[in-house]
Amino acid sequence: MSVKNHLSLESIRCVRGDNTLFSELSIDAENGDLLRIRGENGSGKTSLLRIIAGIALADAGKVLWNKKTIQESDSFATDIAYLAHRDGIKSELTAIENLKFYQQLYNQNDTEKLMNVLDALDISHIYPLPARQLSFGQRRRLGFARLLLSSTKLWLLDEPFTGIDVSGRELLEQHCVDFLNQGGMIVMTHHAELEHSELIQREQSVDLTSLNIGRFQSEMETI
Amino acid sequence: MTAKQSTSHFSSFTLFLRRECFLLWNNQENVIQPLFFFLITISLFPFSLGSDPELLKIIMPSIAWVAIVLAIMMSLNSLFRDDFEDGSLEQWLIGNRSLALIALAKIMVYWLFNGVFLAILACIVCLSTNISFEQIKVLFASLLLGTISLQLIGGIGAALTVTIQRSGLLIAIIVMPLFIPILIFGAGAVTRSIAGESVAGALYTLATLAVLSITFAPFGISFALRNTIE
Repeated sequence: MSVKNHLSLESIRCVRGDNTLFSELSIDAENGDLLRIRGENGSGKTSLLRIIAGIALADAGKVLWNKKTIQESDSFATDIAYLAHRDGIKSELTAIENLKFYQQLYNQNDTEKLMNVLDALDISHIYPLPARQLSFGQRRRLGFARLLLSSTKLWLLDEPFTGIDVSGRELLEQHCVDFLNQGGMIVMTHHAELEHSELIQREQSVDLTSLNIGRFQSEMETI
Repeated sequence: MTAKQSTSHFSSFTLFLRRECFLLWNNQENVIQPLFFFLITISLFPFSLGSDPELLKIIMPSIAWVAIVLAIMMSLNSLFRDDFEDGSLEQWLIGNRSLALIALAKIMVYWLFNGVFLAILACIVCLSTNISFEQIKVLFASLLLGTISLQLIGGIGAALTVTIQRSGLLIAIIVMPLFIPILIFGAGAVTRSIAGESVAGALYTLATLAVLSITFAPFGISFALRNTIE
């Protein structure tokens, strides 16, 4: 991988209602880094991913991509792929139509690559089916296929292995390892422990529960 | 803005135009529903007013205008709903993609399949009341211009309420005051034409409102979406 990319979070604060979920959160990541966001339910894991993606705004601090804020960066929108709970897949379109659109959105147009990706995720047999006929796991795999299609440099994964069977999980973890080896960068939330030895090796954790000032304060008040 | 950026904006605009056409083709109820609503509403009036041809000739164009305003208002609820629920909208919000262009592409397609079809249907219905061709032309022009603004301004209401489950009533309350001027000039143009007065003023005003809506409403929609989806 030739180009160095750099993601940097500077003193991010996230407030929900009266609760400060986390504040003064600073993270740096470079090519090949796997950042794992830990924390209890409601500690702000998804909020943090959405802030990094630029979907939500941080209440303080900024997110920098290659030294530019993500709002100013020209390349950020095509450098990043975000796999959320809601997968962005249209039920009425077929698997291939869904993926084709995302491919074009990332300025690419390579049908062969499309079929290879479906093959790599072991879902090539479903390509003519409308997405509404797919099982939950198949849909998640289809969402994941979107990541492999794009030549993005940063993946934001929100519980990527939910609803995926054992063999699928091995497959997806292997794809994550390959992506990291090619110089990609991953920020993910995931409850269970990772299984692939190389992923565990690379893993750096950020624990939001320990940064959870709001909850700490409200507990102090109840005492 | 660099040249590269503007080409990429343009290509994503055409990409979304094609996608929305394709999606509407797959979701034809979004096209058929407003047309049916319009037909049902407008066909009820002769039953309640009686079949006096002279009366119908005068009021049918105005009734067509009201029915179209209501049909468009009803269709607004579904404008961004599916995109929000399946997570597509979140994907458009990533980074600094031009949400305004995406919204404009979407609404242009909706206008083509809702607004233009409704205008044609209204003219066919009004032809049956034996009004003159001159007035049909005025009705068609006023509807074409008016529906652009209706769809775009309605889009702001839809964007503001996209996270709310049953938002129909709320959208109606938000956009109703903004729809009224368009209705006044639109229906006014036809009434003036029937009375034999000049319609240029009303049509120019509708055109001005359409241009203003095309220029500013997409930014309003983009701003509303970015702030409601957090």
